[in-house]
Amino acid sequence: MIPTVGGVMLITFVLFNIVGGSPAVLALGKNASPQALEEFDEQRGFNKPVVFGWWTRTRAYPDTDFRRGMGPWAGVMGAAQIPEAAGGGGLRLTAGEYVVPLAFDLKSETIYRWEMQYRLAPGGHAEWRFEGAAPSATGPLEVAPRWQRAAAQVRTARDVSVQARLVVKSGVLELRTLRLRRRMPRPWDSQLVFYVRQLARLDLGVSLATNQRVTTMLKAGILPSLSLTAPILFVELAVAVSLALICAYFRNSWLDRSLVVTAVVLMSVNYLVWIILGQFVAGYQLGWFPIWGYESWRHLLLPVLIGVTSGLGGNLRFYRTIMLDEMYKDYVRTAFAKGLSLRGVLFRHVLRNALIPVVTNTIIALPFLYTGSLLLESFFGIPGLGGMSVNAINSADVDVVRGVVLIGAVLYVVANLLTDVVYALVDPRVRLR
Amino acid sequence: MNATEQRPAPSAALWGQTWRQLRESRLTRFCLGVIAVFLVAALYGEANCLWHRLRDETPAYQRVDLDKRYLPPGILRRPFAWRNVVQHPLGTDNLGRDVLQRTIQGARIAFLVGVVTALIAIPIGVILGCVAGYFGGRVDEFIVWLYSTVAAMPGLLFILAVAMVVGKGLQGVYLGIGLTTWVGLCRLIRGEVLKHRERPYVLAARALGFSSWRIIFRHILPNVMHVVIITFSLRFPAAISTEVFMSFLGIGVQGEPSWGVMISNARLRLWQGMWWEMTFVTLAILAVVLAFNVVGDALRDALDPRLRVREGA
Repeated sequence: MIPTVGGVMLITFVLFNIVGGSPAVLALGKNASPQALEEFDEQRGFNKPVVFGWWTRTRAYPDTDFRRGMGPWAGVMGAAQIPEAAGGGGLRLTAGEYVVPLAFDLKSETIYRWEMQYRLAPGGHAEWRFEGAAPSATGPLEVAPRWQRAAAQVRTARDVSVQARLVVKSGVLELRTLRLRRRMPRPWDSQLVFYVRQLARLDLGVSLATNQRVTTMLKAGILPSLSLTAPILFVELAVAVSLALICAYFRNSWLDRSLVVTAVVLMSVNYLVWIILGQFVAGYQLGWFPIWGYESWRHLLLPVLIGVTSGLGGNLRFYRTIMLDEMYKDYVRTAFAKGLSLRGVLFRHVLRNALIPVVTNTIIALPFLYTGSLLLESFFGIPGLGGMSVNAINSADVDVVRGVVLIGAVLYVVANLLTDVVYALVDPRVRLR
Repeated sequence: MNATEQRPAPSAALWGQTWRQLRESRLTRFCLGVIAVFLVAALYGEANCLWHRLRDETPAYQRVDLDKRYLPPGILRRPFAWRNVVQHPLGTDNLGRDVLQRTIQGARIAFLVGVVTALIAIPIGVILGCVAGYFGGRVDEFIVWLYSTVAAMPGLLFILAVAMVVGKGLQGVYLGIGLTTWVGLCRLIRGEVLKHRERPYVLAARALGFSSWRIIFRHILPNVMHVVIITFSLRFPAAISTEVFMSFLGIGVQGEPSWGVMISNARLRLWQGMWWEMTFVTLAILAVVLAFNVVGDALRDALDPRLRVREGA
């Protein structure tokens, strides 16, 4: 159980922190200011190294490869692309002082490093100059007839905004790439550690859309979700098991056959169609049920009915298979041989034994009660976790999605464990070790 | 060498027998026909789509014609004329786009989703399952851990989350469904391979000094292939349904007429009396999914010897 919970945490981490590009861009959009993005990252720990590392990116200056374009240098006076005739693919700085364009002020009391690939013909003279750093620092660039890498470090002072300048005293400085890195005070201060710590505090973050704590939202949504899904589960269970018993009782008769056919057809109708049809016909045209809202039990009738109908097909088939599976066991043959009636065998022997998989199957379904029904809730305006998740996914509300996925998975693991325990309780042949 | 050369014979016999059994039932034959019809429609849709993309013009299923909005299906149109029936046989939607053409495009996307997700999920499931079952030990433990972790993720929500992270569009649908649905197959294959691992033919192959990979993929895999086929036939309709959800919720297909997009569009028009788009899309989904479910069941009955005995009893 512990390894699986760890795995679940790992998968959510990999999914949202590593695979998924930048959650900040997902949430705030491509046109958000770098500062807003950086604040988003800072709050959620996304501006740290992924697992381990001293150096991390900052949005103050995006990595630029001048072969692809000018990047933030596009508006800087005097800066130009190297003409195609001269080989192209670089930034050309003639004599003068150039302030490196930063999107926002650097953090105070932090070490930053500029990393570049440059070329400086013999006779040229250029240097880095950092204004406002403590102490005011310069870093001369050595002459490089070919492309060469260099780095300049600066430590920012408290409450003074630092300006980084490239000063070309003579000759021409050509840049191919330029990037800025921030040094972490502790290399273990990473996204992974941040995430694990956050979870250890039982903190699932803050929703972007509502600015509420995700844990609060989860607590608020669980009751509406349960009030919808719990009736669905139990009504469906009762109906499906009774129909399965009827199938087993009249097996291979026209009744059994038609029930099976109905089940397959029910299974094949899309969930959406049930919902839309139910709302349109039973809610709108016939006016039997209210269509929208979460005010009284009457509002739950239609969604529960739809939920039961859409899940019935699959469950009926499943339980029928279980019943029939039992019907061909030796003890049933013995019971028949002793002269018991079909009804006696069915209810006293088969049902009892068939209940074991029924019970385990039901327990496994329990965690899904919690996540609610994504579609039913958003269609019927029930303020549960399902509708909340759909909204969160649509607005790329990373923390909410992650929270619901995580809790759902953990509950599933718990339910799995519970199944084993219950299995041992109801079936004396199974013993827990 | 003999072992490998003789292998095709029994398995070919198995497939031949399966095929014969499938054709025996009239219902299954009918469903296979339905699938074939939709497959042809999907291929036509793909060709149509490519053709218009090549010529760089708006395809018929996207062409907006505001003079022809809300046309009911051809047969019901007044004044009745055969020309009508042929022109927009299933009517037009709120922007005057042809419903038939859009439904065909939907079939194209449904088949794409079914096939591509299978192409992602099946190799993952088969390879991991075979490796876990055959090698056992640490490898097995790791793979079991991996799939129980993925299995713990809450179904549709996890698929949507993957799609959200990967980005909206068909790619997100493929990856979301493909990367989450290999678990069941992996579990089944692992169980089957475990059973086969100690069978005499595998021991013989091992005694002959064949490499593990050769034993797994040339000897064991053909014997557990029926699991793959059954899983594929049952996953296919499930993938189609999931795509419909995702597109409906606006996370799936963008800018193309998938069935989910069409339902989402038709839902709002239902209140204005435009029932035909909804009806025909529903029928199309029902037909495909039902046909696949029936064929999948028939395949399972034909390929799973355990069940075959049962049914006879």
